[in-house]
Formats: sequence, structure tokens, C-alpha cells
Amino acid sequence: MAILEVNNLVKSYGGKAILDGVSFALEEGEAKVIMGPSGCGKSTLLRCLNLLIEPTSGAILFEGQDVTRPGTDVRALRSRIGFVFQNFALYRHMSVLDNVALSLRKLKKIPRREAEERALHELDRMEMADKKDAYPAALSGGQSQRVAIARALAMDPRVLFFDEPTSALDPIMVREVVTLINRLYLDNVTILCVTHDLSLAKHISDRVVFLDRGKVHAEDNIESLLARDSDPVIDEFFCGDD
Amino acid sequence: MTFADILLTLLQGAGYTLLITVCCYATALVVGLAIAITREMTRAWVSSLLSVFVYVLRGIPMLVLLFIVFFGLPGIGVDVPPLLAMMLSLGLISGAYLSEVFRSSLGAVNPNEVLAAQSMGFTRFETLRLIKLPQMTRFSVPGMVNELTTVLKFSPFAYTVGIPEITKEAMALVATTMRGIEVYIAIGLLYFGIYRLLLVAVRLIEKRYAIPGFAQE
Repeated sequence: MAILEVNNLVKSYGGKAILDGVSFALEEGEAKVIMGPSGCGKSTLLRCLNLLIEPTSGAILFEGQDVTRPGTDVRALRSRIGFVFQNFALYRHMSVLDNVALSLRKLKKIPRREAEERALHELDRMEMADKKDAYPAALSGGQSQRVAIARALAMDPRVLFFDEPTSALDPIMVREVVTLINRLYLDNVTILCVTHDLSLAKHISDRVVFLDRGKVHAEDNIESLLARDSDPVIDEFFCGDD
Repeated sequence: MTFADILLTLLQGAGYTLLITVCCYATALVVGLAIAITREMTRAWVSSLLSVFVYVLRGIPMLVLLFIVFFGLPGIGVDVPPLLAMMLSLGLISGAYLSEVFRSSLGAVNPNEVLAAQSMGFTRFETLRLIKLPQMTRFSVPGMVNELTTVLKFSPFAYTVGIPEITKEAMALVATTMRGIEVYIAIGLLYFGIYRLLLVAVRLIEKRYAIPGFAQE
């Protein structure tokens, strides 16, 4: 059974459809990348899936439950979906350790010491344990993204969302983060990743959902998509990339 | 009477000046925070209503509001003690100014951090408590210090409602000694001393809760 199944999802603002009947499924252990031109609705789609944005219509089945129905426990849903943002979004007033432990303490009600031990374990997994007492202002982009990933993983999510995880990074940091996400992929973490980054897509995706103007234009593996020379939308998007 | 004697005599009123400043500033903090948080968490019409309240308070001279509270309210059967009258006038007006300081500081919190907290499952209130308020407080320090000095500088109005603070003591001293220049220079020095004392206290608190690199971002 798919962990996540999206059926005919629509999101409109003032009559203009940003997402126009999007459907796809994400299996357990699968890594799926959502690509497409700027403004095609990729980030909106990701935010709809954990109800940060309320969809206009359609169904989102998370572990078989339609979460768009009234009465959905939004808090429980979000705690099962890890979300890593483009700009890291670390809490600037907290140390690295507190950034990771906060959700465990306040949402899962785990005692401080145990929460910090778990947080430290996740930081260690991301090779950031030595920076546990640092504050976000002292971290590089790549280090910040590692902490953001540790923070998401600490909640033991069923699926990990990435929203343009490499677009705020320089090329060296991009390689670092791509390697890291690739490691998660090889560890069978279920991943849904919005990106423009072809190298990231090549490294982590089983399949790519290609969005164009709010619709699923194609769904295929990255090699097959790259081979579609005759498709003008895809050809234009990948034009210039290797 | 030497200048030191004048200073010592005036110091008797310094306790009242400090009391007025602390009580009025505490009122201002509570009012300012309450307005800023309510505007942040409630519907637009409530926020609009509060913005009118703030606008009106900021436009009323402090002394006028003090007289309304202290001399006006007894006319409708409500007697207000002098210190409470100061809190309801100076405290409220400063609260209105502080609410604007807090509001702009809340606006300075990175929206991505708020989004991250909500995507984790935190409610709006939890996000406010855990993410926004701690940052808001730190962003607000310069504005809060500014308002603290304003409250201190407006505290002499308390003499008009009979509180024996420094200025009232000074006026009594001038009446008996006729040494106006020395007495008023002395209270100027005392106010400056109190200002420095409060500033040092605030800076210590600021240093205690400072976060490396936080303000520079």
C-alpha cells in the first residue's frame, strides 16, 4: 500500500488553479522527486500534503486515511511527516541541540534528558554532534541543512519532505547535502523532494513527477524523462543541463 | 546647606521615583504585550479596534490622562489612589507605545521558522510561545530601553497628584532654601544616576540572554 496517495488534488486562489487535478502515489521506501518550471505549483503541492495549505478539492490519502476530510488530527499528521525547507528555517534563538530536541519535548512529551539523547543521536547521524551547542548563526548552509534534516528525522517520520533542499547552497554545499540525502535514500527512508537540481534528482529519485502549470505533465524515471527530446516542455526545462 | 546635603535630602524622594517608574513600566509591559499578542492572534477586526485604542492613547498628553484619571474619575464616584492613577495614565500610554515596538519585533521573526514550527505540528499558540515571543523579546530590547527612560522622565508628573518623589521634594526644598539652581542641578544628576542604574540592569539582563550572532543576522 502506498504511504501517500494524491487523487485529483486542486488548489485555487481566486478562481486560478495553482494545482489542477494532481494525482500520484508514494510507496514506502520510495524516493520521488517533483520537478517542473518555476510557478508550476511544486511547493504549493508539498504544503498541501501536510495541510499547511488547505486544498480546494481532491483527496490526500496518508496511510490510507483521507486527511482532507474534516476532523483530521492535523498535529498527528504533521508529526508523521518530516519537512525540510529550502532556507533551513532553524530557530535562531535556540542551540542546535534544542532545535532538534524541541519537537520531541513539546510534541511527543519526551522528558528533556531523553529528548536530548535522541536529538544527539540524530545529530550524530548527520555528523553534527560536535556542533550541538552552536547557534544557527554560526553554521554554514550545509551544516544548517544537516541540522534541519536531523530535526525532521528526530520525530521518526513516516515520510520526509524536502522543499528545494539545495537551492540556497553553493556548489560544494550542494554536493554535501546531495550525498547526505542519497544516504537517507539508500537507508530506505521514504522521500518526497521538490527540486530544480538535476544532480539531486539523479541521485535520489526512483521516479520523477514532472509538473507543468499545475498538472502532472509526466511521471517517469529521470533517465527516461531526459531522453524525451521530442517533448518541448521537458526539453526546455532540462535544456542546458547535463 | 552644602550640595551634598541637598543631594541627600532629595534622595528621600528617589525611592518613590523608582517605585513609580517600576510600577508604570510593569503596567506598560503587560499592556503592550497583551495588545501585541491579541493583535497577532485574533481576527482582523479585533486588531483594527486595538490599533484605534493605541492610536488614541498615543495622541493623549500624559498629564491630561493623569488628570482625567485622578481628578475626573472621582466625579463619577471612582476614587483612584495616586500610584494607581500614574499606572493608568503613564503605564497605559507607554503600553501603547510598547505594543508597537512588540508588534514590529513580531514582524521581524523569520516566517520560515514559523512555517517550520507549524509543519512539525505546533499550534499557532505554541509557535507564538516557543518561537515568536523569545525572539520578539530580544528584538525589542532597544525599544524597551527607550520606553523605560521615557517612563522615568515622565515620572515627575507624579508630584501633581501628591506623590513625594524627587521633583516634589526639590520644589519643597527650593521653597525653603531659595537655592533653585543647585537643587534643580542636583535632581538632574539624580535622574541621570537612576537612568544609568536602570540601564546597567537592563544591559546585564540583555547580556545574560544574548545569543551569539543573533542580532547580526
